[in-house]
Amino acid sequence: MRTALAILALLIATPLLAKEELVTLPERDSVQLTIYNSEDLTLVREKRSLSFKEGENRLQFSWANTLIDPTSVEFAPAGKDATDALEVLDISYPAESHEMLIWTIGCNKAGGYNVEISYFTSGISWNAEYTGVVNTAETAMDFTAYVTVSNRSGEEYENAQIRLVVGTINLVESIISLATPRRQGAPPPPAAMPREDMRRMARAGRDAADESNEDGMARPKEIQKAGLSEYYIYTVEGTETIPHAWSKRLRSFVIKDVPIKTVYRLEPAKFGPAFTKVFEFKNDEEHKLGKEPLPDGVIKLYRDAGNGRLSWMGQLASKYIPKKDEVKINVGPDAECTLKARRVSLRKKDLTFRNNWLVGHTTVEEFELEVRNFRPRDVEVEIHQSFGGLFEFESEDNFEKHDATTQKIKFTLKSNETRKIAYKLTTKHGENAR
Amino acid sequence: MNKRMILTCACAAAIASVIGISQPRPADARIKLATLPDKEAVVVRFDHPHQVMVEEERELSLQKGVNTVDFSWAGTTIDKGSIVFRPVAADSKVEILSTSYPPGEAALTWAISSPDARSEKFRLSYLMANIQRETDYRAIVSNDEQTLSFRHYFKIRNWSGGQFDTADFITRDGKTFEKGLDRGEAKRMLVNKWDDVKLTKEYVYDLTRQHEGKVLTDYVLPNTKEAGLGVIPFEHGKVRIYQDDGSGTTAFTGEDWGRFTPIGDDMRLNIGIAQDIKVEFKKMVNEVENRRGNVYDTNEVDEYEIKNFKDSEATLILVLRVQGEWAMQRDSEGYESFERIDNETIKFKVKAPAKGEPVKLKFHYKRLNNW
Repeated sequence: MRTALAILALLIATPLLAKEELVTLPERDSVQLTIYNSEDLTLVREKRSLSFKEGENRLQFSWANTLIDPTSVEFAPAGKDATDALEVLDISYPAESHEMLIWTIGCNKAGGYNVEISYFTSGISWNAEYTGVVNTAETAMDFTAYVTVSNRSGEEYENAQIRLVVGTINLVESIISLATPRRQGAPPPPAAMPREDMRRMARAGRDAADESNEDGMARPKEIQKAGLSEYYIYTVEGTETIPHAWSKRLRSFVIKDVPIKTVYRLEPAKFGPAFTKVFEFKNDEEHKLGKEPLPDGVIKLYRDAGNGRLSWMGQLASKYIPKKDEVKINVGPDAECTLKARRVSLRKKDLTFRNNWLVGHTTVEEFELEVRNFRPRDVEVEIHQSFGGLFEFESEDNFEKHDATTQKIKFTLKSNETRKIAYKLTTKHGENAR
Repeated sequence: MNKRMILTCACAAAIASVIGISQPRPADARIKLATLPDKEAVVVRFDHPHQVMVEEERELSLQKGVNTVDFSWAGTTIDKGSIVFRPVAADSKVEILSTSYPPGEAALTWAISSPDARSEKFRLSYLMANIQRETDYRAIVSNDEQTLSFRHYFKIRNWSGGQFDTADFITRDGKTFEKGLDRGEAKRMLVNKWDDVKLTKEYVYDLTRQHEGKVLTDYVLPNTKEAGLGVIPFEHGKVRIYQDDGSGTTAFTGEDWGRFTPIGDDMRLNIGIAQDIKVEFKKMVNEVENRRGNVYDTNEVDEYEIKNFKDSEATLILVLRVQGEWAMQRDSEGYESFERIDNETIKFKVKAPAKGEPVKLKFHYKRLNNW
């Protein structure tokens, strides 16, 4: 533990350091970590019980070799008695140390009071991860969400209440830059990973389980979710100890048999240039979800290979998915459902000349898309085709306008069926486009 | 009778320069009598937006006739051209005859005429560089986001080389703090606090502020009496925003730079992204028409599909920009109201129903007389 709180004995307003003495070093009574995933930021709140004498008291708070933002350190009385008795008169940042401050606290009634010290630190992060195990028919998957907390802050927070914030906050200065303004370039390497013994590892493991069941069986901790403004706060049940340089993964939820739909898409704007397989479901009650948004994170997909075995399908980074929004997981091209595009013909017409020089022409092109489904089940297909310039689009297939430059078509392709789609594109170039 | 006195700015370097009279430089030939009257009533003023003025009082014992007083400030950042020295008493009989500036020294000498031997209080004013000031704010928003508590802090850091054992520090809005301030030390004080300040929350889609097309969440704080403020103009400073999370504590919900906000104006603070409101843009029509030689118009329809995945309805402000000469067409639809802010900018308000039900803003306009 590298943060330290001391009450200073002398209360004079003369130059500070030479005249002060350390009187007490109170321990933390409790600590709460609110960790943000959009920024390298954690709000730490510690509660401590301190004794104050009447008049001015000076409290020194130091945080050597941590990544604490000095501008964020706050002192606040906790509870009515403390609020009535204590007042922060000023905060001094001595020239001698960038990693220390001294509060001058006015106290109108001597006694012991609870106080809260809060600050921002860099180096603690969390991220969401998901695993999906898709059944052989690709109609449903078991969906499990995890949160992983990592501590590289240089500080060990024992028995901390952990809160995780889902959402994108606005920060005008990064915490690491405020924490390390005098150091050049990258932040200092955190202290070497301590040689943790097995006892600590075992204790950290026990933190993640709740043994309060009557049968003595440990169960994974629950993670409570609550909305706040534009954010969600996940509160991990009980407390956790995450030593410096350690990470810990906790299960957020598991949902069995989430119904999914398989759609083959050619939609370059969203899924790249390839004809690709996309698993789709909604974050709603109909799909056994919808209780909370899904934070951005990596989704790892496995296929149920039978006999309790899994086969790897792939992984992708998912963006934040609000409640009721659609989830589309691109699992890549599939050799069992293919699309071939070819230009069947090209003709040029309406050649326009000025001074015997070609200044405009019109092209007429015919295209054919052949979609083949080799799979033993019907599949959904959606194809987007985008065009540039001044064009006319003609097709006898049931294309619809997606936007000014894009046509799209959706259909169901039966097992072992082949469908050909044709369209004609007339594009005016140069003077002809005027 | 001519008496010399030496005043020093209270810093170690200045004292060293006084002691070092034996150095073989022309300036050192002057006789200096190290009578050092204490500084009294030191005031450090921050009422100018960029400069810091220090005023101090010194009691000098003058002899009848012309007295010479030295003032030196080596090692500090006093602006020599700004120094003003005068008796405190308005009806003082003493007179400052001249000010001399010795070469190569951070010092000057006053010739002071006194009608008799007396003790006279003088006030010395000067600008001092490298005393940094910083304003910052803390806001704690209520759980329902209707009101907030607003705290205004003032922080000073002393890089001037001088030391203030005790001084009155006066902020731009007139608050006075009696503090000591060491060399290199910083101090931060709570200047003002207001509770139950009314605020409004806005969701804003504006590509010039958020290039990826995400929806911003803004708090708007009117600096008015009606809103619970309107007492002082707010200096530029960082505002850190916390919100009551309903469980007896608060969560940090974002920060923004608050620009200088005069009384009567609004302070707009972006706290972050509203991830539960999505906007998808599509250009549905983009046609050239009414061609005349090399001049033409364009007929354009922009479609914004808005999905609000929150559990309650939300109003979204879309700030859209169209360059050049243009006219909105009457069949634009899907908005509650609109306001053309300037030639290039139009602001739509769109009500977005809850739970992801899509609503479309159709913005139909013609760009005229392009070439």
